Amino acid sequence: MNPLLQQFIQEGRDLLQGSAESLMALERDPQDVESLVKLFRAVHTLKGNSGFFDFPAMTQVLHAAEDVLDEVRSGSMPFTNELADIQLEVLDLVSMQLDEVEQNKGILSDQYTSFSQALVRRLRILRDPEAADATNFEASQTDKLDDFVEPEALLRCPEEIRMDAFREAARGQTLLWVTYEPDEGAFYQKEDPFGRMRAIPGVLWGTFEERFPWVDLDTMDCYHCNLDFHALVAGSEFDVLDYFRESIDYVRYGQVSPLFLIRPEGEENGGPLFEDFSAEAFLALERGDWEGLRASVQTVLELSASTLWVSSVLRWLLVVLEEMPDAHVLQETLLMAVHTHELPPIRDVAIRPGSRPVAPAEVTPPISDEDEACVHALLDAQREILGLPDGVEWIDGRLRATVASIRGCHKVAGRSVEGLDEALAAALAVHSATPLSHWLQDAIEHPRRALTQEVQQVSTRPVEPEDLLEDAYPRPVVLTDGPSRGQSPPIPLPASTSTPAPIREPIAPAPVQEESRVVKKADEPVTVKVLKVEQTKVDRLMNLIGELVVAKNSLPYLAGRAENLYGVRELGREIKAEFSVINRIAEEMQDAIMQVRMMPVSFVFQRFPRLVRDISRQMSKEVVLSLEGEETQADKNVIEAMADPLMHAIRNSLDHGFEPPDERERLGKSREGHLLIRAHSESDRVTIEVIDDGRGIDVQRIRDKAREKGLVDEQTLERMTDDEALQLVFLPGLSTAKTITSVSGRGVGMDVVRSTLAQFGGGVHLSSELGKGTRLRLSLPLSMAVNHVMIVESNAQIFGIPMEAIVETVRVPQDRVQGIKDQHTTVLRGKIIPLVSLNSLLALDKPQVLNEEGEIAVLVVWLGTEQVGLIVDSFRDVMDVILKPLPGELGSIPCYAGSALLGDGSVLMVLNPSQLF
Amino acid sequence: MPIVYKKQRAVLKESVAMEVAEDLFAWLQKNPKGSIDLANCTHLHTAVLQVLVALRPAIAIWPKDEALRAWLHPVLSASKP
Repeated sequence: MNPLLQQFIQEGRDLLQGSAESLMALERDPQDVESLVKLFRAVHTLKGNSGFFDFPAMTQVLHAAEDVLDEVRSGSMPFTNELADIQLEVLDLVSMQLDEVEQNKGILSDQYTSFSQALVRRLRILRDPEAADATNFEASQTDKLDDFVEPEALLRCPEEIRMDAFREAARGQTLLWVTYEPDEGAFYQKEDPFGRMRAIPGVLWGTFEERFPWVDLDTMDCYHCNLDFHALVAGSEFDVLDYFRESIDYVRYGQVSPLFLIRPEGEENGGPLFEDFSAEAFLALERGDWEGLRASVQTVLELSASTLWVSSVLRWLLVVLEEMPDAHVLQETLLMAVHTHELPPIRDVAIRPGSRPVAPAEVTPPISDEDEACVHALLDAQREILGLPDGVEWIDGRLRATVASIRGCHKVAGRSVEGLDEALAAALAVHSATPLSHWLQDAIEHPRRALTQEVQQVSTRPVEPEDLLEDAYPRPVVLTDGPSRGQSPPIPLPASTSTPAPIREPIAPAPVQEESRVVKKADEPVTVKVLKVEQTKVDRLMNLIGELVVAKNSLPYLAGRAENLYGVRELGREIKAEFSVINRIAEEMQDAIMQVRMMPVSFVFQRFPRLVRDISRQMSKEVVLSLEGEETQADKNVIEAMADPLMHAIRNSLDHGFEPPDERERLGKSREGHLLIRAHSESDRVTIEVIDDGRGIDVQRIRDKAREKGLVDEQTLERMTDDEALQLVFLPGLSTAKTITSVSGRGVGMDVVRSTLAQFGGGVHLSSELGKGTRLRLSLPLSMAVNHVMIVESNAQIFGIPMEAIVETVRVPQDRVQGIKDQHTTVLRGKIIPLVSLNSLLALDKPQVLNEEGEIAVLVVWLGTEQVGLIVDSFRDVMDVILKPLPGELGSIPCYAGSALLGDGSVLMVLNPSQLF
Repeated sequence: MPIVYKKQRAVLKESVAMEVAEDLFAWLQKNPKGSIDLANCTHLHTAVLQVLVALRPAIAIWPKDEALRAWLHPVLSASKP
């Protein structure tokens, strides 16, 4: 299992444990604000963490729980025992999900999905008593949908696309209407809402409009997002939720009934052709002659102008015949439309909210006034149809169709259909509509309530095509009555600040409780293999060990004093022997404590594949990501500090670095770009490089821009090397438009990257070759590193040099030093090594001291890939020190890596050879 | 470049980046009768799209990319509200 997931599971367990305790405390004292806040935070964190993984069932239920807690926290909802019960169930469920994730190595099956959905529903009911009144959240969702779905917007969608959507729906896909109202500052977060909408998995079509009209076009801010987006998506709401998990607060969605898509368009014009056709078609429909019907529809379509409204109806009829051969009512309705030139109002309320296809123990909602009116209208229409003359051949089909419609209406309205079948039988027997007319008349005048069970049975059985007509209406409820029913207020969007709902004792539907009760046995043993310790405790331990390391270094001094000052050589030797033991233990302790704080960079790297995939898809670019050195370890703080700047760098590369595939091909590059993220540690630093093979950066443009913006004066600019000029990108305010498209968006960001890193004592360096690619190198110090340093003496002072930088130490006789121009060099093993005196580098005006044999002490160090000989006075021993960065202004002197405290209490300055020259 | 300005026409190509918005906006302010050629455009950043929605320049050529066209046409072909 990957470490990130492991951490999530561990943390999740702790949070659950803590939450359960807070809940208990709250049950004892509902006013306990501290526990409430703790609980809220825990649930919030859990939700956030779960969002990193593909566990929508977990995230959703936690989100709902968080919403409820938020209301409690804001005081708009009381903390009741029932709420505590549900919250505990949520915790149990999540705990079980975590167990499963752990067992299945990161995969969450859908065995708990129905539980979590039921819990989500109960939480929503709890939160909105109005919805509880309705005992169904979907009912209020309908109203909510009415609030935001503008069906007209969907009808701008071209007919072919609507037909495609209809086909998808007929094959069992859920159609969703997704509305995304991005944050005004979205562009600054590198968000492209349009791109995001277009890339929704399963998106069929979409549209957009301005949120507010632009008042004054002259002063319009192009980078202030004022567009709202809608999209028609064929897919599950889980996928949509998952896709938008980072901006879920700006997204709403609802389910679209496929019937709503059927809206014929075109010129209103008919003719005898259609009259003849419809009579013939009804006959075919009655006989069940689908082939014949299809053929005649096809013929008429070929004969008539495609722009006619009627043609559009016929096209729809064809689609329906093809996709829903059993939806006779619908087919008949469409045929009727050809005849009457209008489509009955099946479409008016056709957008239904995000209900799940098979919702556990769904309880039917009350019918709204508006819906009631529709039902009435429909029933009236049926009465009219029944009132038509009886003597036609297709009377039986018509009767059956009418009965189907009546039955549907009654189901929706929650009324009894008792006696309807008998009436139909009677009507069929005499080939007359009269018995049915009587029944209907009676039913309209004396509506009877249906039994609860019947309605539930209806609503839980799988949707059949025939039901689609009925499904165009919100599900009915049977429990409420009287004038109190009706429109419920919209459910507040998750996490939005909503008007507090009036507090009422929520009515939880009994069947839901039965099914969703999730009980985790309390006696199941929990094995803890990992101990979680507060970071402060680790820090304290680390400081103590640091002191021990320093203290132990005083032993050799002590031994020296025993020998030289007090003349007890034996004691000196014994102290040295003891020292070596203590030294070994201290080293191991140091190593152990560092291990505790160390984390692999893969902790941060793990998010990148997904990030790269998402962004590159959004930008329609092809990018292959490779990660190197994921196992490189660094201190926890360092790893965390690196996450954001890295993310930024990657976005930049994807956004501006890589050319679109076609352009790459033209340039003779491979279609897909290569993004390499490489980590390695280098003495006291961790370095992470982000390397792309994109278009690179045009240094000249940066120079021009810097001049134009007056960020750097002309002379300095002239003196700058290309490399230095490139680093100007990190200046705040070097805004871009076309200039630095290849680096950064609007100049927001790169300076933030640098300042973030600087906070942690890190640095960033950019190199680029135009047309070839860009490399961004982030380096951060390890906050505490045990360094092996060699101590050297120069000008009667001691300095430390990190062992990693040292190649070798040699004594070179003076006569082997040759001068090449001003430069002293020597030849070591056939290689010319330039020699530089440390005193001169440190601006000390003293010659280096030679030893008795007249040899100079040369410390050969790495300088990048070159070797350089550093002339010092003499070598001392190698020592472990804890390198601390220099404080304040001193920290900006690059030639020192830091300082360390020695055993005798003196301070050792540790040089950074790479910055010395 | 994803955008080329001709005398009275701005030609947008491929995926048009956010930074173009400011530029295009200025150009359209200067050339109120300027029209837009989207033939080879595959994507517009929202900021660019927003400029088109706000200023409603004439779209001389619609994108060949069917999906993009289906999004843009119903909104941008309507006359300015």
